[in-house]
Amino acid sequence: MANCGCIVGSILREAALVAAIGVAFAFVGNQISPRGLALARNYFPTGITNMVRAVVGADSLAGALGINSTTSSLAQQLAAQMRQNGLQLIARREAVQLFYDSHLKNNAIVFIDARNESQYQEAHIPGAYEFDPYHPETSFPTVLPVCRTAEKIVIYCSGGNCDDSESAALLLRDVGIANGKIFVYGGGITEWTNNGLPVETGARNIGNTQSLNQ
Amino acid sequence: MRSGQSSRSCRFLDAFTVLARWVLGAVFLYMGINKALHPVEFLKLVRQYDITQDVLVLNSIAAVLPWFETFCGLLLPVGVAVRGTALTLAMILAPLTLLVLHRALLLQAAQNIPFCTVNFDCGCGVGKEFICRKLLLNLVLFVLCLWLLTGRGRQFSLRFSLLKPLLP
Repeated sequence: MANCGCIVGSILREAALVAAIGVAFAFVGNQISPRGLALARNYFPTGITNMVRAVVGADSLAGALGINSTTSSLAQQLAAQMRQNGLQLIARREAVQLFYDSHLKNNAIVFIDARNESQYQEAHIPGAYEFDPYHPETSFPTVLPVCRTAEKIVIYCSGGNCDDSESAALLLRDVGIANGKIFVYGGGITEWTNNGLPVETGARNIGNTQSLNQ
Repeated sequence: MRSGQSSRSCRFLDAFTVLARWVLGAVFLYMGINKALHPVEFLKLVRQYDITQDVLVLNSIAAVLPWFETFCGLLLPVGVAVRGTALTLAMILAPLTLLVLHRALLLQAAQNIPFCTVNFDCGCGVGKEFICRKLLLNLVLFVLCLWLLTGRGRQFSLRFSLLKPLLP
């Protein structure tokens, strides 16, 4: 009996040792990894608790199942959250109008893709600039000069449960881009492709444009 | 005759335990590395659980968990501190599984759909998955962790017990 207690105690001590070394290993691993997280940085300028997320998680599920019950409440919540943060939300119709506006060609209207690099390479709105709000330092040199001179900036991400476009909008606003010219396209690339609108694959403006829903 | 049978079943159990150690190690290595390679995506998934309002705590969880799993996933196949590692993993798996279950119940309630049709990315390192399958997998992993506590299957292990003088 005493031997049994001794074994349990030893296993617990060993587990504590493994946990301590494991945590140290993990912090070092994160520190030396080029993709490691900066522990003190707030990656979510929209707030850690996001009122849209609970609904949106359910909404993406509903989408997968072909249910549309939460879509309108999601749109309302998203719009409310944008307003709360002082941002303007636009619908697909307005996004399409801006996309076909002649000012797009001279960068008076710019589209910003707020997803990560691999998603951007897979498909983005033709001519959109890549701007991952979690790694803004890599895109700022390209995106900031364009945003400063643009009259309208349309920011989008995946749509649905994604609020990265909102994060990107807040980041741009924080570095001095006028709030009045920032528009967030809530439907995102998912709604865009679902409606058969053109997308570009690979790098920006290499001419590889197609429609994914034909 | 009886002794022969008993030794055969012992050998079988030992072989099974070694296999369980390797499988567990491979699963945790795979899941850990998957998350460590995409820390921001994992951070976003951790955020969905609303477990903390503190940036530092949230970032620390998302930064530490993948590497911690990778570390434990390395220890098991090479056979270092096997029982301590198995206990640590079991103690991590249990609360994480409860969190996943809680999230799944919220999603089910929001959509009013059968529980097993709830399909979401729980941040477990394997992408979107149906909840019943995920819970079953976690249960199997948990049972295997507990099985490793028996101390069987010491073959192919570098240092089965880290605290050698104390553990038999």
